[in-house]
Amino acid sequence: MEDQNDASNSTLISDQSLDTAVQKKHQAMIQRLSNRHQARTRSKESESPSFESTDSFLSCFSNLKQTINSEINQIEQTPESFTKEDLDKVSVLINDLEKLVAENSYHLPSYEVRASLKTVGELKESLEKVSVKLVPKKKFSFKSKAVKQRQPIVGMEKGKVEKPEVVSDDKPSMMLDGPGFKNREREFLVENLKGKDMGEFTLSELDSCEARLIGRSRAIFIHKLKNCKVYAGPALGSVLIDDVEGCVFVLASHQIRIHNARQCDFYLRVRSHPIIEDSSKVRFAPYCLQYDGIEDDLRESRLDEENGSWANVDDFKWLRAVQSPNWSVLPENERIGSFHASIADS
Amino acid sequence: MGLLSIIRKIKKKEKEMRILMVGLDNSGKTTIVLKINGEDTSVISPTLGFNIKTISYQKYTLNIWDVGGQKTIRAYWRNYFEQTDGLIWVVDSSDLRRLDDCRYELHNLLKEERLSGASLLIFANKQDIQGALSPDEVAKVLNLDAMDKTRHWNIVGCSAYTGEGLLEGFDWLVQDIASRIYVLD
Repeated sequence: MEDQNDASNSTLISDQSLDTAVQKKHQAMIQRLSNRHQARTRSKESESPSFESTDSFLSCFSNLKQTINSEINQIEQTPESFTKEDLDKVSVLINDLEKLVAENSYHLPSYEVRASLKTVGELKESLEKVSVKLVPKKKFSFKSKAVKQRQPIVGMEKGKVEKPEVVSDDKPSMMLDGPGFKNREREFLVENLKGKDMGEFTLSELDSCEARLIGRSRAIFIHKLKNCKVYAGPALGSVLIDDVEGCVFVLASHQIRIHNARQCDFYLRVRSHPIIEDSSKVRFAPYCLQYDGIEDDLRESRLDEENGSWANVDDFKWLRAVQSPNWSVLPENERIGSFHASIADS
Repeated sequence: MGLLSIIRKIKKKEKEMRILMVGLDNSGKTTIVLKINGEDTSVISPTLGFNIKTISYQKYTLNIWDVGGQKTIRAYWRNYFEQTDGLIWVVDSSDLRRLDDCRYELHNLLKEERLSGASLLIFANKQDIQGALSPDEVAKVLNLDAMDKTRHWNIVGCSAYTGEGLLEGFDWLVQDIASRIYVLD
């Protein structure tokens, strides 16, 4: 019974107080809403300006950009008078700028977004450059700790540094090994590989030379040639070319790799795709070498069939579907035509 | 440890090994893979990207990732490091000029933590070519003794052209990986 009374009492009380409570709540709610509304309009005006037109965004963007740029310039000119905190401030400014772009990206033309983001990236880069200047000034650091932690790594690095020293002793002797023409200028070079054991052959550091390799080889290495002409019989394995300029090459091989070639013409018979890397202004045409017995040499090297691969050049610096600007097919009227080489010419 | 034991169990069930094959361009990586798989090796273009070969070897399944070695794409090797059980480094033993590059790239690769547990097989390829360095000489020039002592490694002379030495190399690699992963097999 008591419980019921209590309950009815409490409902009575609450009925009376309910009205006032509800009213209070309602008022508070309205107050809150209007507060929030005001806050929202205020924040819109001050914090994150959202621009209706691209122009107003751009002008704001360029203003901020100039501010940041001048800050960076000041730091760059007199790095000693600035501290890490100044850098952080600039960094915050750049971040704000990035945020601004992001917030407005929905109504900006995609070009503007890209251009703006690029600018932001550039600002970050220049800040980084400047901060490098400042870093040595850093006063505060856990020096002793850091050194202790780094010591083992330093030791490792020492080990690594020592290695090249050891090898630099080996290097010259290694380079002299193997058959080939090396370090010549304005010479006429002929090598008859017929009847010899098939091995690799090297042409390196030649200037204004003409080289003829009659017969078959296993592999050909070509390195540092300038204004040379190279005519070679078939190579069973591969030809590797690095750092050549203003040369003409007549080569047949299963694989041909061309690195760092500038302004060279290649007359190739090749079973797979020739490749170029870091090369420019290189042109390609079919193989055109003739000498007594070349038909047999080509057949024995399984290079007797012209499959047109010489024109299927892969450019590792141009991995796109459209034609690479670095190479082209040599126009027929500019080709040298069939070239007859013989040992007797020398 | 829980996750590791699960991985071990799955690997044990499938008897699968992931093998990454790298080395400078023109060293013969693709030729080795095709040769050991009994495929035609007469027309192979320099690898623009990578090839994956799954082959059955003894009682194991080898997933061999053959990644192109041209300078431009060496930077992408790192994309293939994850979960590598065995690493094959291929050397053109006849390319004396670039052995320095070769050593530099190899030691650079071995710094990679994700490869720290992988068994390392070095193929001194092109032994059939006259004037090629012997495996011992290659080991010396590549400074292999300077490697971390915990590394399991072996160098084997081979010729992808004739096929000589390939089985010897793969036998060692597969046995070494098996003894690590499938300890009680």
